Amino acid sequence: MLKTLFPTLSRFRFAVQLVMLCVTVYGSVIVGHYMADKISNNLPALSCAYDQMNGGYCVLIPTQHILHHRIGEGIVRAQQLSFGLVLPLLMSFAAFFAFFFVIGKAFCGWVCPLGTLQELIGKLGRRFGFGPRRFVAGDLGPSGRVRPVKWLILLGLVFVLPLLTGLGVTPHTLGNPYCDICPSRVATTLLTGNTEQLALRLGDNVSFALGAVANLLVGFMLVGALAIRQPFCRICPMLAFNALFQRLSPLRLAKKMHDNCAKCGICTEACPLDIPEIAKEAGRKAFNEDCTLCGRCAEYCPQDGVIQLKWGPFALFSSRREYYKTKVKGELPDGTVKPLKFVKHAAKPISTAADA
Amino acid sequence: MRRFALLLLIPVGAAHAQHDHAPTPTAAREWTRQPLLLPDTNRRGERAMASLRPLGLAADKVTLYAPAGPAERRRVDYAVGAAGARIESATPQVGNYHWAVARVETPEAVRVASTAWYFGNPGPAPQALLGAAKHELEIVPEPLPREHAAYRESEKWRFLVRLNGVPLAQQPLTLETEFGSRTTFVSDATGMATVLFPRDFKPAQTTADARASHGPRRANFVLSTEKEDGGRRYLTAFNLTYGPDADRDRSLAWGAAFGLVGMLAATPLLRRRVAAPGDAKNA
Repeated sequence: MLKTLFPTLSRFRFAVQLVMLCVTVYGSVIVGHYMADKISNNLPALSCAYDQMNGGYCVLIPTQHILHHRIGEGIVRAQQLSFGLVLPLLMSFAAFFAFFFVIGKAFCGWVCPLGTLQELIGKLGRRFGFGPRRFVAGDLGPSGRVRPVKWLILLGLVFVLPLLTGLGVTPHTLGNPYCDICPSRVATTLLTGNTEQLALRLGDNVSFALGAVANLLVGFMLVGALAIRQPFCRICPMLAFNALFQRLSPLRLAKKMHDNCAKCGICTEACPLDIPEIAKEAGRKAFNEDCTLCGRCAEYCPQDGVIQLKWGPFALFSSRREYYKTKVKGELPDGTVKPLKFVKHAAKPISTAADA
Repeated sequence: MRRFALLLLIPVGAAHAQHDHAPTPTAAREWTRQPLLLPDTNRRGERAMASLRPLGLAADKVTLYAPAGPAERRRVDYAVGAAGARIESATPQVGNYHWAVARVETPEAVRVASTAWYFGNPGPAPQALLGAAKHELEIVPEPLPREHAAYRESEKWRFLVRLNGVPLAQQPLTLETEFGSRTTFVSDATGMATVLFPRDFKPAQTTADARASHGPRRANFVLSTEKEDGGRRYLTAFNLTYGPDADRDRSLAWGAAFGLVGMLAATPLLRRRVAAPGDAKNA
C-alpha cells in the first residue's frame, strides 16, 4: 500500500512537504487560534509569524526580538550581562534545537513552506519546458559564489541590526529587518488570501525600502524558480542557521567514495542546490552547509550504498542501482521531465551525465 | 513535561502589549463615561510587569487572573496606588494573556472594568481563563487577537455576554472608541454579539501618532453592557485597544510594482539555454 502511494523517496518527500505546507500556512485551523496552541515559536523553517492562520512560526523572529528588546535594551540599562539576559536567547536556541535534533536540516528540504512553494514552481517550469539553469561553470557560475550571502544575511539582519536597534543605534524600524525582507512573509500570507504584507508601508522610508526588497525577492523568486531550482534557498539565513548546528543532529548525509565518483557527478546534478562537494568529497565534507537533506543525491546515485540518509547508526535510505534506473525513467537528475504535449521545445539538460 | 515545554518556549517574540506602545490614559474620560482599566506605558525591559489604572471607578484594587502558575498566583489582588496597580505575571515563565478586573460594589449596583493584558512570554492559551466565570456580568472576547495581531478597524470580532456564567441572549452591547464612534450591538440566542470595529482613525491624528510613536498605532475602545438581576444593577465594561485598517498607510500598488520588477529581473533566466558540450560538470 505504502509502496504504491510512495514509490520513490521524492514522492514521499513531496507528500510530506504538502502536508507541512498546510500546517505551516493554515495550521491554526487544526491546532487552535492562540499562539500558545501552536506547534512552536522556534520552528527551524520559514513559517511566518505575520500569517495569522499558521500553525507555528520560525525561530528567526524570536531571535530578532530577543536581541532587540531584551539583550539590546538590557545593555542600554547598564545591567550586568547575566543569565537574566542571555538565558532567553539560549532557551530560544534550545527550543529550536529540540526540533532540530529530530530531523536536522531536513526542515529545509521537507518542512519549509517557501522551499515547497519554490519546488512546486520548479516542477511547473519543467513541465512547461523552462530551464533548468544551474549554478555551475558555464551557466550561472559556481554555487560557491552565492554561499557567503546567507551567512551575511544571518549575521547582519538576524543578529547585528536587531541588537543595534535594541541599543538605540539604529532606528526602531530595523528591529526585525530580516522578517521585513523575508519573501516567506509575503508569499505565505498571500497563500491565505491576505494582501496586507504585499502592500508597502508609506510614510517611513526604511520600512518602505525593506518592504520593497521583500517584494523584489518574491517577484524574482516566483519567476526565477521556473528555471533555477530553489533560488531563494541559496541565500536563506535559515539554511545558514540550520548549518550552524548540522553536525549536532543525528540526521545526516553519509557518503562513501566510489571509483566512479570522479567522473560521474550525477548526484550534484540531482542536487537542487548544485552542491559540487557531494560528488567530489566523502564523509563529513560531502554533507555540505547548503545541503537540505532532500535525498535526491541518494536517489540518483547509481551505486549501491554509496550515498545514504542516516539517523544515527540507522540508514533511512541508501542509493541503489535498480532504484536509480527506475527513477531516471520518469525524471532526469536535474529535474527535467517530459513536458506537456503543447510545449514544443523542451528544455535541454545542461549535463549529459545521466545519459552516459 | 508541560513545565519543561513552557521553559523551552520562554523567549517568544512579542505581542503589542510588551512593545511599550500602549496608549496613555490621558483624556480617557473625554470619550467615554464607562469605567476603564488603562495601562501606563511600561518602562523598558519590564516585561513581567505592568501598571493598570482604573478610571471612572473608585476601585481600591485590581484583581489579576492568570492562565497558569501556582494556585495562589492564579488570582492575585493588587492595591491601586497613585500610579495605578502594579501587576505582575503569575510567574516569570507564565506569559500570554492575563485577565484584569476592577470592581466597585454597593448593595444596589456592581460596576466592573475589565481588560486583558498580554505578558510577553509564552503561556497557555487563554481559552480556560476566558471560559471561567470571574464576576457576575461579563463580556468575554471569543477570541482575543493572536500575537502580532490586534483588533482593527473594519473587522468583525465576537464577544460573549454572560451573567453568572450563563449566556445572555438579546443583550445590548455598546462600543465606544477614542475617536468618538458609538454603536450598539445585540447578542444572539447564544449570547454572542458580533462587533464591527468602526473605520474611524483620523488621518491627521494617525500621521502625528506615527511620528510620535515607533510602534503600531493603537486607540482605545470600550464595550459595555448593563443588566438588572435580583434587584441589583450590574454594569460591566471591557476595554482594550484596536488598530487602523490594514490598508491605511500602505500601498498595494507600490507593493505589486516592486513584485513585478522582481519578476522582470528574473525573466532573462527563462531564456532557453543551449548547452555547450562539456560545460556541464561542476566547478
